[in-house]
Amino acid sequence: MSRLSALKATAATAGILLPLAWGGVSWAQDAVNLRMTIWSANEAHLALFNEIADGFKQTHPNVTVTFEPLPYDNYVTTLTTQIAGGNPPDLAWIFETSAADFVNSGALAPLTDAFTNTEGYDLADVTDAASALWTKDGTLYAYPFSTSPFAVFVNNDLVSEAGAKTPAEMIEAGEWTWDNALATAKAVADNGKEGLVIRDFNFQTWQNLTAFWRGWGANAWSEDGKTCTFTAQPMVDAMTRLHRAIFVDGALPGPGENVDFFAGDAAMTITQISRASLLPKEDPFDWDLVPLPEGPAGKYSVIGQAAIGAFANRPNTDVAVEFLGYMTNPENSQKLAQFFPPARASLLNAETLSTTNPLLTPEQIEAVVVNGITNGQVISGHTNFAQIQQTVRASLDALWVPDADVTAVLQSVCDSVGPLLAR
Amino acid sequence: MSDISQQKRPFWTIARKDAAAGYLFIAPQLIGIITFVLIPLGLVFYYSLHEWNVLANTFTFVGDANYQMLLRDPNLPPVLLASAIFSAGLVVVNMSLALLLAVLLDQKLKGIVVFRTLFFSPVVVSLVAWTIVWSFLLQANGGINGILQVFGIEGPNWLRTPTTAMISVVVVQVFKNVGLNMILFLAALQGVPKELYEAARVDGASRFKQFRRITLPMISPTILLTSIITIVGSLQVFAQIAILTKGGPGVSTTVLVYYLYQQAFQFNFFGYGSTLSILLFVIVAVLTFIQWQMRKRIVFYEN
Amino acid sequence: MKTDLSPRLRVALYGLMCVLLIPFVFPTWWMVTSSVKPISDIFAFPPDLWPRRFDFSTYSRVFELQPFARQYWNSAYIAALVTAGTMVVSSMAGYAFARIRFPFSNTIFMVVLLGLLIPSEVTIVPLFQMFLRWGMINTHWPLILVPIFGAPSVFATFVMRQFFIALPGELEEAARVDGLGRFKIFWIIALPLAKPALGAVAIFTFLHSWNLYLEPIVFLSSTQMFTLPQALTQFTDAYGGAMWNVQLAAATMTAVPVLIVFIVAQKQFVEGLAHTGLKG
Repeated sequence: MSRLSALKATAATAGILLPLAWGGVSWAQDAVNLRMTIWSANEAHLALFNEIADGFKQTHPNVTVTFEPLPYDNYVTTLTTQIAGGNPPDLAWIFETSAADFVNSGALAPLTDAFTNTEGYDLADVTDAASALWTKDGTLYAYPFSTSPFAVFVNNDLVSEAGAKTPAEMIEAGEWTWDNALATAKAVADNGKEGLVIRDFNFQTWQNLTAFWRGWGANAWSEDGKTCTFTAQPMVDAMTRLHRAIFVDGALPGPGENVDFFAGDAAMTITQISRASLLPKEDPFDWDLVPLPEGPAGKYSVIGQAAIGAFANRPNTDVAVEFLGYMTNPENSQKLAQFFPPARASLLNAETLSTTNPLLTPEQIEAVVVNGITNGQVISGHTNFAQIQQTVRASLDALWVPDADVTAVLQSVCDSVGPLLAR
Repeated sequence: MSDISQQKRPFWTIARKDAAAGYLFIAPQLIGIITFVLIPLGLVFYYSLHEWNVLANTFTFVGDANYQMLLRDPNLPPVLLASAIFSAGLVVVNMSLALLLAVLLDQKLKGIVVFRTLFFSPVVVSLVAWTIVWSFLLQANGGINGILQVFGIEGPNWLRTPTTAMISVVVVQVFKNVGLNMILFLAALQGVPKELYEAARVDGASRFKQFRRITLPMISPTILLTSIITIVGSLQVFAQIAILTKGGPGVSTTVLVYYLYQQAFQFNFFGYGSTLSILLFVIVAVLTFIQWQMRKRIVFYEN
Repeated sequence: MKTDLSPRLRVALYGLMCVLLIPFVFPTWWMVTSSVKPISDIFAFPPDLWPRRFDFSTYSRVFELQPFARQYWNSAYIAALVTAGTMVVSSMAGYAFARIRFPFSNTIFMVVLLGLLIPSEVTIVPLFQMFLRWGMINTHWPLILVPIFGAPSVFATFVMRQFFIALPGELEEAARVDGLGRFKIFWIIALPLAKPALGAVAIFTFLHSWNLYLEPIVFLSSTQMFTLPQALTQFTDAYGGAMWNVQLAAATMTAVPVLIVFIVAQKQFVEGLAHTGLKG
């Protein structure tokens, strides 16, 4: 073939193919499969998500959404493997602790414009406190669908058997402080059961201790994330107290001891309210839900967050963002609120929330959820959180022995993690 | 050989046909080794000169920065120490227990096959299932401490103190795989010519002396080979660490492979992970070389 | 050292072996019995060697929490495929290295032996990148291709070569005189004789594939694709709390079938392994 005829042929082919290609785009929009990775395998959660996806299908018959539960323990690693493997999901749940990694990386699609342009979305209703972590330069990159305060579940039966005042009575009397709470835990432990369990901490996931040490005004690192503050006085005080509670008083089960509050083995547990679904249905105990006790630094509350982000530069990013806008609009937010405390101011009242949370009384909702979300601070995350988590965990291990030198251990934490934070 | 007399010899002589068949036979293995071992080995080195950010999807040349990091990494000395302790502990305990069991199983006793089967059985139990059970048993309030407490003994918090955590991972691995070495030793013991013992008995040598003077030298090639396999295997241990201790407490049970996995796949430092791979390769190569030299020295006993 | 033992020594040896057996047998016993205990009894004190209450729902929970049947299938078919593939690749290569003369065969054998020197852990990062480029992340291909053709199969090739070297050559010579080609000699004469070695290779390879843990967690990222070892570690409630009894039920289902096969065929198993040519 001569050069000229080759050129002609190319032009002709292009003439035929280009319109086809354009046509292909509109065909491609005909069937869209969105995939969202989540870390809950709870069937009730999945049923609700599928219900919302079906609702979206009413207006977008071409879009199907599948929810892929990934194992909780390795969630971030598995998700990153998918991303590295060139096969990221369209949407993903993201932990508060890895917020910085995801929001700063440019991997997520911006949401603000799309949400503002969605009729009836009312982005202003989402509180600033809740969206701060997920916002960069005024743009929202992931929607905080779960803003869940840490609270204390109580087994009143065990507390009464030990002859102690119940937390509710202490709140009544204005005595609900960490000292009294730990004393109650010790009383129950002395009586043969276990005292207080900080759920999912397991002497590994130290970030869950935030719910404890914020009572002393302590923080893992400074506001800007550059300086380690494990050696600051509030942290030293908090950890000294915690160490005594575990190893001297026996108020908390020690490392490697498996104790399940929801099986009736412990007096109290600190966790998020969504765990209410784990309360036993057969021969239940008399349980209660109360806010975190007051610490030396006063009243406080701590929030764990989870958000949903849509990955940028994917074939269906626009549809994914649109679906996210649908999933988190006011009506669906109200549905989600039965499992995941909402970030919308308009939903943050006892009436709305008690219709969706039949397990909890309006008083419990007001005291724990509404107050908690309004005043709470989110657990701090950091860029390269996986490495920082691991480094702190390794140094902190030395603390979980009876004769640990708390100050020295905390110094070693800062020695090892300091350079990583400053980076 | 009639074709010699023919004027033109066919190209496909038997030798040539054979050579072609030989290449054909080894081709799958050779191509596999090139694709999945040699090229990746080159790539490990290439990646160790780069940094890859998964989330931002950037791949940048960083020169010897990862090797600089290797030299300055405060975790590396304890990680290497943990690997050394683990491997040494594993080899010593594994080999001595395997030998003891093999000698016991070599006795003329009724029902010895039942014992052999049971000692060997962990080898066929899924590694992760085996490790999960042990992790369950080794919890502070788990089965082992529960049983100890029945006898009035306060058990240690096995997986939470550095020394007992290391003992635990070694012991779990030994019981899992000692059956393999046990069987190889047993086969070697049964291969020792009986006449040697009879001669020794005539000379009045004690059982212990017979064992030291005859049995051990005769089975030394097996000991060496199994020790090579056990050591190289010990450097590859991963699942046990990941399930039992996650490398803790501190970094006391973080062996090199586990550290490599953490850096590359959990922290997403693929470049540094590759650098650690190179280090692992060098260690395995040096160890194998040393053992090869030792093999030459005892070659006398090989037939 | 096979001499007749005095009755006293006999009793002592039985006693010693019974004590030594505990750590080999007790974990399996504990796994099976604990898998049917309700969660509230799982850390009961004193420990129950026999469950005081039974809860068989743990076994159905295994299938509710994960696509366990699918994961079982994944592990089983991968192990079967890898075992069959390795037997083919390694017996051919082992035979050629042992019995066929061709230029550079020793050099090539040395190159192949490098695979023993380079554990797959060393190359896991580039392998990940290679399979990524080939679009094979979150597929089972890496778990099939690498063991059959890569470093793990070298040991099998080595075992096969040792076996074939020891084989007397007369049979082959006779076949040759009858005009059989190399492939036929291999297939009709040599391979049937190699059954013990092939058996050992099959056992080793099956167990290796069945136990793989690092590779699946690196290459696979959706629960549908998981293999058993990976799935076993993921039995947690919706928020990551450990569910020991359900996990142990899954572990029991993973371990017990292989154990039964082993006990039925233990003679072939053990003697096959003893014949790996590892005697030095």
